Amino acid sequence: MKLYIGGAYQGQLELARAENPDALILSDFHEAVQEAMLRGEDARAFAQSVCAAHPDAVIVANEVGAGVVPMEAQERAFREAVGRALCVIAQEARQVTRVVCGIGVRIK
Amino acid sequence: MIVLVTGGSGCGKSTWAERLIASMPEGQRVYIATMQVYDEESVRRVARHRAQRAHLGFATIECEKNLAAADIPQDSVVLLEDLVNLAANEMFSGGDVRRIVPALHDLAHRCRHLVMVTNDVFSDGGCYDESTQEYLRALAQINRSAAALADCVVEVVYSIPVSLKGALPCV
Repeated sequence: MKLYIGGAYQGQLELARAENPDALILSDFHEAVQEAMLRGEDARAFAQSVCAAHPDAVIVANEVGAGVVPMEAQERAFREAVGRALCVIAQEARQVTRVVCGIGVRIK
Repeated sequence: MIVLVTGGSGCGKSTWAERLIASMPEGQRVYIATMQVYDEESVRRVARHRAQRAHLGFATIECEKNLAAADIPQDSVVLLEDLVNLAANEMFSGGDVRRIVPALHDLAHRCRHLVMVTNDVFSDGGCYDESTQEYLRALAQINRSAAALADCVVEVVYSIPVSLKGALPCV
């Protein structure tokens, strides 16, 4: 499993595709976490189930936790859930790449 | 050693900061808790953090404001969590945000090791009302002062520590 993260529109999906042309790519993973949350699932358990089902996948997500703490409880919970889920993925992944302006920085 | 740990929401910075404290030599461990507990969410958050650090033998000192007045034993190993709450409490609950940086300097001299946790809340590009902007400016200045004071600054990115200043401590 590999993980590509970055702020909105930083080119993480393009880089993930370029570097892993034959891999299964699960993009917009932050939205998948939000949907899981709305279904009442635990974020960590959801991430673990994705790791178990797709151990060779490339996960692509936006970093969403580095802004002003939102006033709405639901929005706060969403940001935190994405963080918790991506911690699970990052621990499972053998490679983590953070993308800024299209440039990948390997942090694991 | 003085360490500043930053990162976004839910990135695992508290867990990493606790592991860092656990890797440090023996000394009286002090946890400076800054969060105002006023609703169910904050009660849950405090309970989660307490459970997370239960095995580390911290003495907890509650300090919502006025860090300089907190009774921190000399030569202790201190985890201050976090600057975001401390700044918000000083600014919005009748304190003085300007006293945080001098108090951090005093604390750094007093204790053997100091680990400060803060939060990256600056990268969403949103426009906010004037009081929030004022808070962001104040917190950014505190973070920069804390980083200048620290031997190491570490950003935790989804559980992975990334060094921004100094050698990454082994945890």
